[in-house]
Amino acid sequence: MAANTLNDNITMPASWRAAAPILVAVGAVCVLVSLGLFQFLVKSENEATGFRMFFHSYLANYIYCLSFCLGALFFVLVQHVVRAGWSASVRRVAELLALTIPWWAVLFLPIIAVVFGGQGTLYEWTKGAGNVPAIVELKLSYLDPKWFLLRAVVYFAVWCIAATLYFRKSREQDESGSTEITIKLQRWAGPFIIAFALSLNFAAFDWMMSTDAEWYSTIYGVYLFAAGMLSFFAVMILTCYLMQRNGRMEKYVTTEHFHDLAKFQFGFIVFWTYIAFSQFLLYWYANIPEETAWYADRLDLETGWRPLGYLLIILHFAVPFLGTLPRAIRRNKSVLAGWAVFILCVHWLDMTFLVMPNVGHASAAMLFGHFVCWIGMVSIFLALFLFRVGETPMVAVRDPWMPDALAYQQSPM
Amino acid sequence: MMPIPTPTKNLARLMSTIASHKVIDNTIDTPGRRSPLVTGNQTYGSLTHMVSRISEEAQPLAWWVTFLLAVPTLGMFGGLIVYLFLTGVGVWGNMSPVFWAWPIVNFVFWVGIGHAGTLISAILFLFRQNWRTGINRAAEAMTIFAVVCAGTFPGIHVGRAWLAFWLTPYPSLNLWMWPQFRSPLLWDVFAVGTYASVSLVFWYMGMIPDLATFRDRSTNKFRRMVYGILSLGWSGSSRHWMRYEKAYSLLAALATPLVLSVHTVVSFDFAVSQLPGWHTTIFPPYFVAGAIFSGFGMVVTLLVPVRALYKLKDVITLRHLDNMNKIILATGSLVGLAYATEFFMAWYSQNPYEVFTFWNRAFGPYWWAYWIMVSCNVISPQLFWFKFFRTNTIAMWIVSIFVNIGMWFERFVITVTSLSRDFLPSSWGYFTPTWVDIGMLVGSFGLFFTLFSLFCRYLPIVAMAEVKGVMSQHAHAEHRHAHSHGHAHSHGHAGGH
Amino acid sequence: MSDHKPEKKVKPPKAFGWVAEYADDNQLLDAARKVRDSGYTRTDAFTPFPVHGIDEALGIKPTVLPWFTLCAGATGTSIALLMQWWMNSIDYPYIISGKPFSSWPAFIPVAFELTVLFAAYTTVFAMLGLNGLPKFSNPMFTNPKFDRATDDRFFLWVDSRDKYFNTEKVKSLLDSTSPLSVDEVREDDTPAEIPKAIFSVIMALIFVSLIPGAMVLRMRASQSDSPRWHVFFDMDFQPKKKPQQTTSLFADNRTQRPPVPGTVARGELENADPYYLGYDPDQTALLESTAATRMVAFKLQEPAAQEPAATEPPATEPVAEAPSTEPASTEPAIAEPAAAKQEPAPAAVAAETQAATPETANAQPAPAAAAGEPNYAWLTEFPIEATEELFALGKKKYEINCAVCHGFAGYGNGLVSQRATNLAQGYWVQPTSLHEDRIQKQALGRIYYTIANGKGKMAAYASSLTPKERWAVVLYVRALQRSQNASLEDVPEARRGDLSAK
Repeated sequence: MAANTLNDNITMPASWRAAAPILVAVGAVCVLVSLGLFQFLVKSENEATGFRMFFHSYLANYIYCLSFCLGALFFVLVQHVVRAGWSASVRRVAELLALTIPWWAVLFLPIIAVVFGGQGTLYEWTKGAGNVPAIVELKLSYLDPKWFLLRAVVYFAVWCIAATLYFRKSREQDESGSTEITIKLQRWAGPFIIAFALSLNFAAFDWMMSTDAEWYSTIYGVYLFAAGMLSFFAVMILTCYLMQRNGRMEKYVTTEHFHDLAKFQFGFIVFWTYIAFSQFLLYWYANIPEETAWYADRLDLETGWRPLGYLLIILHFAVPFLGTLPRAIRRNKSVLAGWAVFILCVHWLDMTFLVMPNVGHASAAMLFGHFVCWIGMVSIFLALFLFRVGETPMVAVRDPWMPDALAYQQSPM
Repeated sequence: MMPIPTPTKNLARLMSTIASHKVIDNTIDTPGRRSPLVTGNQTYGSLTHMVSRISEEAQPLAWWVTFLLAVPTLGMFGGLIVYLFLTGVGVWGNMSPVFWAWPIVNFVFWVGIGHAGTLISAILFLFRQNWRTGINRAAEAMTIFAVVCAGTFPGIHVGRAWLAFWLTPYPSLNLWMWPQFRSPLLWDVFAVGTYASVSLVFWYMGMIPDLATFRDRSTNKFRRMVYGILSLGWSGSSRHWMRYEKAYSLLAALATPLVLSVHTVVSFDFAVSQLPGWHTTIFPPYFVAGAIFSGFGMVVTLLVPVRALYKLKDVITLRHLDNMNKIILATGSLVGLAYATEFFMAWYSQNPYEVFTFWNRAFGPYWWAYWIMVSCNVISPQLFWFKFFRTNTIAMWIVSIFVNIGMWFERFVITVTSLSRDFLPSSWGYFTPTWVDIGMLVGSFGLFFTLFSLFCRYLPIVAMAEVKGVMSQHAHAEHRHAHSHGHAHSHGHAGGH
Repeated sequence: MSDHKPEKKVKPPKAFGWVAEYADDNQLLDAARKVRDSGYTRTDAFTPFPVHGIDEALGIKPTVLPWFTLCAGATGTSIALLMQWWMNSIDYPYIISGKPFSSWPAFIPVAFELTVLFAAYTTVFAMLGLNGLPKFSNPMFTNPKFDRATDDRFFLWVDSRDKYFNTEKVKSLLDSTSPLSVDEVREDDTPAEIPKAIFSVIMALIFVSLIPGAMVLRMRASQSDSPRWHVFFDMDFQPKKKPQQTTSLFADNRTQRPPVPGTVARGELENADPYYLGYDPDQTALLESTAATRMVAFKLQEPAAQEPAATEPPATEPVAEAPSTEPASTEPAIAEPAAAKQEPAPAAVAAETQAATPETANAQPAPAAAAGEPNYAWLTEFPIEATEELFALGKKKYEINCAVCHGFAGYGNGLVSQRATNLAQGYWVQPTSLHEDRIQKQALGRIYYTIANGKGKMAAYASSLTPKERWAVVLYVRALQRSQNASLEDVPEARRGDLSAK
């Protein structure tokens, strides 16, 4: 079978690629501006507060972007392990998204720096023995900068190896069309998923949960996974839609694929709600002070974060749940793209809810700085993604499952 | 050649069924081309016959052995329940502080097993995993019988079981009061009740077309009448099929979160408390993973003998077993990940009670239960990384038995070790079961196997209509494949005589 | 025409149309398209499994089923939430584990389950309803070939009531689609009634199954003189003794055992220790020993006289005299060690006290009667060490709690009293002066008791003062009394010079 039998344009528009340098500049400027905003707008008696806020904001927005890249990696692995046919035409998008992970390792350096030199700027436990609450003191053998760095290296190693391997082999297949490659990738997907699950779980504990080192929740890794998968499907839908609007990938990605991606997105809206509700219910019901403290930071009236909690229930669950329930919407790709943008916005609210209350009460200045930082980080993500994609075909045209993917029809559900 | 028991009008079809019975390894896909899910050159007719004859012919010896062992065991179960009612819950080993002991362990064990059926029917349906069609019927039946077994235990555990109906919010003339909806135990009543009834109706609805097949194949009037009533006059009209399929997918979409919610609510029974070892946020997804794991373990335990006994190797192929074993591997590893997370978080929390509880689990007086659990649930499924274990029926059957044992012990470890070491060392205790406890566990297996044997005897154990749909789909895919490659495959073509 | 079935039997035609049989779903699809393109709309296909593409080939319209599901699901959620809220927050609210009456997070699980329950059952029943099932008689079933419609054959049917129906044309059209066979569908003329035997068995079963329900209903609606019928004992009969019953196990025939001498039950210290009470309860009991003995004898006779003999055979013998010796033999033994502390407070003293304060008697005739003065074994010594520190505490607490009425010096002329006297102009009864002879004579424990429990118009201060603080106030009151009646000997020798200097 010859490559690209459908005679479809499957490369990104050159104008997009040209935007990458501009986006990098915009991103860098926004991130720096947000630092300035935090420093000068947020009134505080403590000089370090601006820095503290900036790094919390950086972390939240960093995880915001990294989460859907990790979601993409997991998607690629799962498609191989279950020998999926339908996804052959969209899998390359996920592979390319996952391929930005090595860059995210570079962007993790500021966090490493602040762990080593920050003295509690981002993580309270970096203040070291004697300066932290007694309960945190007992955890310092785990929450130790060097050990933290070593773990981060391991996590990134796992992700980078998986992302690079699955992309390279898939590209090789573009040339050779070899089915052997698919068999090999299927075989490795299982062990990689185990490694992925372990690394994501502990990365969530290390990077996110330890911003409040006294608090703990065993479901935290699953929560982040759910949020990441949800936002990944939104990014995927949006990418495919934008490509099609520019006359690309039109023959490879059909309404059926959009419908399927939308079903997954819908499923993860419900799954995220399930995980978030489970965590809340258990802590609310048992009402143990050291556990509810985390929710007190977020839901007590005087902290100012309570409206965000309610917003998450409405915007992260009720609205998109009802909005993407009808089959007609899931098969209408432009409406669906709107919902994908919506999901990506509420995903930011979710990440904000996880991180920002640790640094203080909500204020307009803080949220403004945080928003600017978000714009910057998203620009950086876009630049990385566009740069990484380059002229790479966005469809794995010679994937042996491609005929399956193209022929496939939804059952009337 | 297999022996032909009674000369029937279906003789010709029978002959075609058994014409070629060679084993095909369909566990491997050449990427881009699906292996057939039904092997042995089956036709629609031969498939119908292969499944229907099970309830039409005399049962094999092994069935009688199972049935005649199961019924007295069920009798014993009934006897023990009567003894319990007449004497009181003191006949059990429940003691202070282990108030929730053996019966609750049995309840959670059976409810967990009862997850595979609806999962296979619903979740795998939504994921368009066609291989589910070979096994879903038997798995759903297993689900319902497991839920029956599960429901028995909380029922008899309430002390005055004849007043168990007080759990329902009915307008009581004497009391004029309502149940306590803030209690997770009441959520459990609703969750398990909903699950049992929805699973039952899902199972029955799935069976209607196959019951119609039984009806139409009946040679005597009585059988035709009974299956006729059960199949509600199903005619196979395309309009009916259209609504039926719609209803089926709606039910699947409803049953998927339902399956998750049931074991989630069961986990809430434990997790909303403040007891270390119970109160941890990963419990809901971890219980669900464990339930799927144990459910698939039980499906493999049941179907390996069933497919050999009833010669269903062409419908429940090695690929089906291979896939199930992969799910067992995946969920077993997930459960292992949850154990590890719990253990890590107990240390990370630096809550002395948490730390002690988990230390006590692994190295306290119940260390043996803990290590049985870990080796059966986490280590034994790792054998399924090797294809030999995934495709060798004896090997996988042994592993599945270990999974069943391990999952029982998981519930034992969670329930008993946490309770036996309370906050107050003065009330620590060591639970040991009484003979009634053990008799009831064994007896519940009697109930389960009685029901399952009757199911095999009287009802279609493979969803014939769905398998035929998959056969047709495969034929179309092969057709397409043949076209794209420019040469024809006659392999696996269904429908032609 | 999606939901229309040929079941209406207004003059049913003998023939219902033509049915063609195919071996393969592809043939069926081709034939169906051909029939559709020829303009027939009253058609149907009968297949052993859902054939994909047949809906389009026959022109079947989508079903409204999902709307039923959606509405039922929404109903389920609303009913569940309303039910839980009404039952637990409105109709029968009670506090449990500190949760609010309307605990919305806790209402979610049941709301979810009922949503699924309603939606699932509605889906199934709506599907059956829209399909017109159960329907046991169908003209299709008259053709024996049709048995294979649920096995391996595919049937295409054209209804005779179709607008364009023409027997010859339809037959030739179907013949042209290479079917295995083409047959006319005939009316089902088998008798429709259920066979008599089955009918009567079913009726009998229904009747029998109604009996238990009817009996329960009748019993609920009527009254009966016969005792309750216990299927289960429900803990009504238990092999245990209740308080105030008799038994043959003990010599005193009482089921309720007195506490072991010299012990105090857990949590009962405040009712047993003189430190908390201001008097010695054991000694006090001895003061009333004769009355107590009479009381026990009376209690013992009571159950023996009332209980039917059958329930407790060994207890039937009356034991009137035994108890009088029983407590007598044990109680003096306990009392002996404590006898040294005993300070009898005879009723005469109390009566005298009342007589000495006529204004109190006037103000509150009933409670101030002599009978109200408790006859207790008051403590006469401090149960804790009287230190400088305790004295300071007593002064502080006195000036906070007592001085407003009793005055800083204890003459009963505190600020409250002064103002009340001005306002009430004679109706106000001045608080007792602590220097009255009666008060001076009171035992320490009596003063403590008054502080803890109040007296007359004075409120009880137990909630404001801990036992230690009460004893401190007692100490301070004693000191006040001493200060107002001091002699030269009371002044330390080193300071006497100061006095004489003045």
